[in-house]
Amino acid sequence: MTRLLAVIDRDIKKFRRNPVVVVMSFLMPLLYLVILGNSFQGKLKNLSMAVVNQDSGTYAVRLIENLKAIEAGAKTFTILQLKDQEAAIEGVKSGRYKTALIIPPDFTKRIVLNKSPEVGLFMDNTDSISAETIRNSVSGAVRAVRQEYVPIRERPDEIYIRDINLYAMVDYYQSLVPGVVIMAIFLGTMTAGVFNLVMDRFLGSEESYLLTPLSRVEIVSGLIISGLTITTILASVVFAVSMIITGIPFYRGIDQGISIIIIIVLTTLALLSMMFVFLGRANHPRIVGIFSGFLNVIFFFPSGAVYPIESFPDWLKAFAKINPEAYAVHALKSILFKNAGLKIVAGDILFLLVFTVVMTSIAIVTFKRTL
Amino acid sequence: MTLIYFLNGHIIMQKPNAIEVSGLTKKFGALTAVDNVSFTVAEGEFFGFLGPNGAGKTTLIRMLTTLLKPTSGRAVVSCCDVSEAPRSVREKIGVVPQAVTSDLDLTGYENMDIYGRFYNIPKRERVEKIKYLLDIVGLANRANDLVATYSGGMRRRLEIARALVHTPEILFLDEPTIGLDPQSRHVVWEFLEKFREKDSLTIFLSTHYMEEAETLCDRVAIIDAGKIIALDSPKNLKSEIPGSDIVSLTLSDISRLENIKNVLTATPFVHKIKVDAETLRIYVDNGAQNLPSLIDSVKEAGGIVSSVSIHQQSLEDVFIHYTGKSIREEEAKKVSFFVGAGVPQKLGR
Repeated sequence: MTRLLAVIDRDIKKFRRNPVVVVMSFLMPLLYLVILGNSFQGKLKNLSMAVVNQDSGTYAVRLIENLKAIEAGAKTFTILQLKDQEAAIEGVKSGRYKTALIIPPDFTKRIVLNKSPEVGLFMDNTDSISAETIRNSVSGAVRAVRQEYVPIRERPDEIYIRDINLYAMVDYYQSLVPGVVIMAIFLGTMTAGVFNLVMDRFLGSEESYLLTPLSRVEIVSGLIISGLTITTILASVVFAVSMIITGIPFYRGIDQGISIIIIIVLTTLALLSMMFVFLGRANHPRIVGIFSGFLNVIFFFPSGAVYPIESFPDWLKAFAKINPEAYAVHALKSILFKNAGLKIVAGDILFLLVFTVVMTSIAIVTFKRTL
Repeated sequence: MTLIYFLNGHIIMQKPNAIEVSGLTKKFGALTAVDNVSFTVAEGEFFGFLGPNGAGKTTLIRMLTTLLKPTSGRAVVSCCDVSEAPRSVREKIGVVPQAVTSDLDLTGYENMDIYGRFYNIPKRERVEKIKYLLDIVGLANRANDLVATYSGGMRRRLEIARALVHTPEILFLDEPTIGLDPQSRHVVWEFLEKFREKDSLTIFLSTHYMEEAETLCDRVAIIDAGKIIALDSPKNLKSEIPGSDIVSLTLSDISRLENIKNVLTATPFVHKIKVDAETLRIYVDNGAQNLPSLIDSVKEAGGIVSSVSIHQQSLEDVFIHYTGKSIREEEAKKVSFFVGAGVPQKLGR
């Protein structure tokens, strides 16, 4: 026990001696929140669209009004009316516009005669997400042309209530909080735990510890426990700060806080032990660097923190089934947004526990007690 | 520990061996780093392993200190087999590895304290022992500074003190003064002698410095290419080579070398001649007195001497005598293809 405590004490002392690392470990997950929140906006906005109207008929006018309504409301695109069809298409090719909509001269006539009316939509299909979004909005506007009224119409003489989806927007930020907490945990498990072992190995100090009567179990579990201490503190602070930033209320007060910390502890243990299995024999910090970048992406994005697991292809769904971060995200989301107690996330807790036990056992068995 | 037993009515006291090694071998793939090595070290002895880089010294120490598993053979250290009871061995030995291993982010005191806790030494005892050791190695006033601020010599001294924190029976040192300036080297030698006297330690040291082995060791084993090629006290090792002095003559013209050699060999006080390019190493008695006639003989044989040096035999000469090469010839260190220059000390021998 004295030995185990000495391993833990040494590790925590060394971590505290690196204040830059401590500060970065707090700040970086919060920056993730701000940057992820703004780069992965739920809805696309302000995509530029050139419109060339060659028809003076009523339906063409109505279509343009519908488009303007979208421009004013959902702000999916901004409209530029052009006369020249060629210029509009060239503009799309050169990247000035995301898309060009051409309304042919016989558009109104064909609608009236029921002779399959058409509009042309020239899209920059290399930017598939934007193209898809614009196509959906335009097809909505085109379908609404036959309706005799225009649902939203902007007229200068009318008082107009413009919807700004403030709540949905904040909600999106809030939905990222579990992901940010996971990020903080991941970062902690990268800067503590097995990383210290690899660093000791690289600097040569590992040799002096292998010469002492320390056992494998003491070395591995000591590093996991010190990593757990550091990471739990980091992740809890990051969690509290991101709750304040995004304004998530505590529905059940202290109970909810404790549940969250239990999930943080279990997730940290799962990730720390997993890192030990992957990197327990690495001997250069560069290997940890490459692995951490890689592992962060392959565990974080399929975790359901940003995009729902349900829409993954089957093979990726299968991966999410063994991804500890997916269970952590599910548990955190349930506790935070659905007001769930620990009973409801018992499955997640069980998985994280079993995962930790299996990984720690592998880490201890594969840890090399000799040089 | 001294064994006392009765035999035929007499009390017999016998010091057991601190280290017993028989047939110890370590192979790395096709390379045999340590090749069927056998020796014993008595309790309280200062034992040295002398050899060039790459001779297998570090591999041997790592096997004796349980860091590497032997391929074959047996090593008993402090009455425990290194393969069967590595943990018991670890509790009884202190080791100063070749690489600097102290923790940069901790203070000198913390380095010692953490180490002491790894050996389960009670706090009060630990505090006293650390103070005592830091005093001897001259780091008492820097104890609370981070090791990152220490010089190379200070780190080495701290590491030696750290290896003694649990009062081991045997102290292993792998090239303890490598990379140190001559002054720091002498400081280390001084307190190694001091520790040995005070704590009746057995010390096992590897080195490629002749002077170090000669000054410190009771017995020296000369190791080359994984094999022990000579083992005795420095004095006896030196007496094995005929001629007490060595005269090195450098010739400016070697065209008549054979003739010169024949003439010199016939001279009564010359025991042996070794030729190394333009330099003749002549093993003679009373070198200083016989030098003038030696140079005259060379002139008569048609040689022109461009420089002369004369020195007493040292272990260096013993090494050359046995291996035919100088100890300073260094081999290139091996570096892993996969991780680059990161960990040469792990793969180097």
